Amino acid sequence: MAMLSFEQKYRIRGGTLVGGDLFDFWVGPFFVGFFGVTTIFFTVVGVGLILVGAAHGGTWNPWLINIAPPDLRYGLGLAPLYEGGLWQAITICAIGAFVSWALRQAEIARKLGMGMHIPWAYGMAIFAYVTLVVIRPVLMGAWGHGFPYGIFSHLDWVSNVGYQYLHFHYNPAHMIAVSFFFITTLALGLHASLVLAAINPATGEPVKTPEHENTFYRDFIGYSIGTLGIHRLGLFLALSAGFWSAVCIVISGPFWTRGWPEWWNWWLQLPIWN
Amino acid sequence: MKFNLIFGGLIAAVAGLAFFVVTFERLPVDSTQGGFRGTSMGRVDNPRTQVLLTAANQAPPALEAADPEGPRASEIYENVQVLGHLSIEQFGRIMLAMSEWIYPNAENPAESCNGCHVPGNFAAEGMYQKTVARRMLQMVQTINSTYSSHVQQVGVTCYTCHRGQAVPAAVWAEAPPNARLHRLLSTAPGDNRPVAANAYSSLPTDPYSAFLTRDSQVGVAGTSARQVGNNSSIQQTEWTWSIMMHMSTSLGVNCTFCHNSRNFSGWQDSTPKRVTAWHGLRMVRSINNEYIDPLQPEFPPHRLGPMGDPLKVNCSTCHMGVNQPLRGAPMLRDYPELNAPPRSASLELPVSRN
Amino acid sequence: MEYQYLFTRLQPKGPSYPGVPLPAGNDARVGTPLHSRLLGYIADAQIGPFYLGWLGVLSVLSILLSLTIIGLNMWASVNWNVVEFVRLLPWLALEAPSPAYGLRLPPLAEGGWWLAAGFFMTAGLLLFAARTYRRAAALGLGQHTFYAFLGAIWLILVLGFIRPIAMGSWSEAVPFGIFPHLDWTAAFSIRYGNLFYNPFHALSIVFLYGSVLLFAMHGATILAVGRFGGEREVEQTVDRGTAAERAGLFWRWTMGFNATYESIHRWAWWFAILTPITGGVGILLTGTVVDNWFLWAVEKRFAPSYPAVWGVIPVPGN
Repeated sequence: MAMLSFEQKYRIRGGTLVGGDLFDFWVGPFFVGFFGVTTIFFTVVGVGLILVGAAHGGTWNPWLINIAPPDLRYGLGLAPLYEGGLWQAITICAIGAFVSWALRQAEIARKLGMGMHIPWAYGMAIFAYVTLVVIRPVLMGAWGHGFPYGIFSHLDWVSNVGYQYLHFHYNPAHMIAVSFFFITTLALGLHASLVLAAINPATGEPVKTPEHENTFYRDFIGYSIGTLGIHRLGLFLALSAGFWSAVCIVISGPFWTRGWPEWWNWWLQLPIWN
Repeated sequence: MKFNLIFGGLIAAVAGLAFFVVTFERLPVDSTQGGFRGTSMGRVDNPRTQVLLTAANQAPPALEAADPEGPRASEIYENVQVLGHLSIEQFGRIMLAMSEWIYPNAENPAESCNGCHVPGNFAAEGMYQKTVARRMLQMVQTINSTYSSHVQQVGVTCYTCHRGQAVPAAVWAEAPPNARLHRLLSTAPGDNRPVAANAYSSLPTDPYSAFLTRDSQVGVAGTSARQVGNNSSIQQTEWTWSIMMHMSTSLGVNCTFCHNSRNFSGWQDSTPKRVTAWHGLRMVRSINNEYIDPLQPEFPPHRLGPMGDPLKVNCSTCHMGVNQPLRGAPMLRDYPELNAPPRSASLELPVSRN
Repeated sequence: MEYQYLFTRLQPKGPSYPGVPLPAGNDARVGTPLHSRLLGYIADAQIGPFYLGWLGVLSVLSILLSLTIIGLNMWASVNWNVVEFVRLLPWLALEAPSPAYGLRLPPLAEGGWWLAAGFFMTAGLLLFAARTYRRAAALGLGQHTFYAFLGAIWLILVLGFIRPIAMGSWSEAVPFGIFPHLDWTAAFSIRYGNLFYNPFHALSIVFLYGSVLLFAMHGATILAVGRFGGEREVEQTVDRGTAAERAGLFWRWTMGFNATYESIHRWAWWFAILTPITGGVGILLTGTVVDNWFLWAVEKRFAPSYPAVWGVIPVPGN
């Protein structure tokens, strides 16, 4: 039955947002729920469409499969199926699946009496995706501005979008986002290390306490953020990385058309320098 | 406490919005596809900027066409060295056009015909502008013939660069290094200043000397996966990137206008514009090395750069922020007098050195 | 609305905690701890005490020396003009030597200072890593932080030391400077055929994005079970309580499998450390083994091909 030793007592009814008891059951370890059904639906349809696209594209090499968005000349309309229409349909399925996933997480959290932090955090990732394939293309007037679905082809898109602005590293929101990415990884490494160091101490030592954790960081850098604080910080850093990434791409095009280095002229030309 | 937070938040939001509105651009934007769908090659333009650029890049209406029949200018006028093969009417038309293109202000006694000619004596030498103009006429003929690979059927006239001014607006000269070279402390003579040439980045500030006079190699990426012997350095790559920044900004386009950035060096991944640009680079080198720099002894000091070299050409000189100069107005068709003369023995160029 | 565990509503005031007593052979801690109410809303309010130590002092001095060298060189490059220094600071640089010097020691003004700054920065980082080891050992903790730090140092050493030596030229290394080091990053990719096609670069990004994903997941999970004391991770590990049970079950029911309170930190640790480790490998292979990653990808048949919308491009020149 794939249940953990303590799991049975938690498998109670309730917590659902839609559908009441109808889908309130588990399949193996997976909770279903109404949104589990919609997730499965969107996923099956979406993956099926991807397979259709792959078959049409002439390669089954997973690195090379590419589902491209429509030409820009179709604007915000529907494109023919094999001229970008597939991409559009897959995008709809993706958004449906991601939103369903988040709502399913909400149902599970409610059932377990937990806070809603996880679905909200996942919502930030959905926001970043929707920014890339909906918000920015709409602002620029064509679905063709979305990124292609393909492992290496989407990287070609990233590279070219970058060079459309001559030197994307100078995008201020990109700088902020990258900094948050790196600092999140640093913080994750530090946090994981600290917890593991307390649970797996030096040879012969007993398992350590939060007092040891705090003391180590106060000795090390003069401050310890604490067991609760580190999780608030980690969540904040990670969500900021996602948020500023979405900002950095939505301003590129809709709100800036030149090279990004040129944006910094506001600083270079401040009257205070004279 | 809560009031402070809300009030502070509101002020921050208003300030942030003001900053955003002032430093960024606004919707709508125009985008043009420049490659296969999904590769994101192509232009992104601000339509309001484009309107201004178009207005600033209009060719003046062409003069009435001249009759090519009749005696040649060299038979009637004295001391005609370059345009002698034109008819009298054609010759006069070009002279009139040139005065409009270079010295348009007829009110000023030092402009119009007197910009190049000794007043009252058209045949006389003695004015540097006349010497320079002759050589530049030959330069225009070369551009319109040898470098039709770049200028194609549109061609150039004097106006393409001069735009109604004796000195074109976008020229360059060698610049003094940007810091006193100190014996001990590292300085950055060629680098690390935001200027128009490097599109305000921290890349090298003078790509012109390296690539538009000297024929430094532009390509840096290797031509095979495991090439041994490609000695291009990362620093050299930054130099190439700098001239590319100049090319992009002077044409008002971005890197993907010519390149697919997944493979900058591959020709089959690039667009046809890259071939045009390749020829353009060689054309500019030829202009600077064979026509402009050798004229250095002719120019008075106020027409030279701070290091004593003449004012030279780069991509901006003709393009002025649009990818087709003067929005593609067919200059050569309107002024066929500026084609190379039928017997062009005197215009034989040395073998191009790339 | 119910309490969301994002901000601390009640801050108890008590005596500062002086820290777990250190064994003999360690200095006394310095500083009287202070408490910040503002900090207390989101995290622990106590600041200090601090362990100075020889390794720490030398490390900070070394880094400060490095920063001073960089700063003075930048200031000299604007002819000692203070206004221009502030205005142009993001663009200013202390550049690596030119390729002409190879691996030889160049004059100070032509890259020598860059080498000095790099040396002191590296020394400072190594000393700080040693400090990490000593502070953990003094408290009887495991050395996970030290080893994680080594992962980051690997990447820094590859970029500034190991790869330049392998390439035979200091000029390949990263300049000091805010925008200049970004120019270097993009130029590196342009020179070597687009780093997106470097499989180790791709792996490194997987671990970078994965780390951010994991911290979002882990941070959100712990906060979501905060009402059950979920942030007490060590206790929940050795004596599993309802926080750990619910947290695990959440993910089991969501995605079919789950971690434990300890093992999630192992997932996290490996994702975080593999980011710089694979990244460093990718950098090291570039230019030494592979000169053009895109063409390498074409060889290995994982570069996508697109229809030629512009037709065949006639290659100019001879």
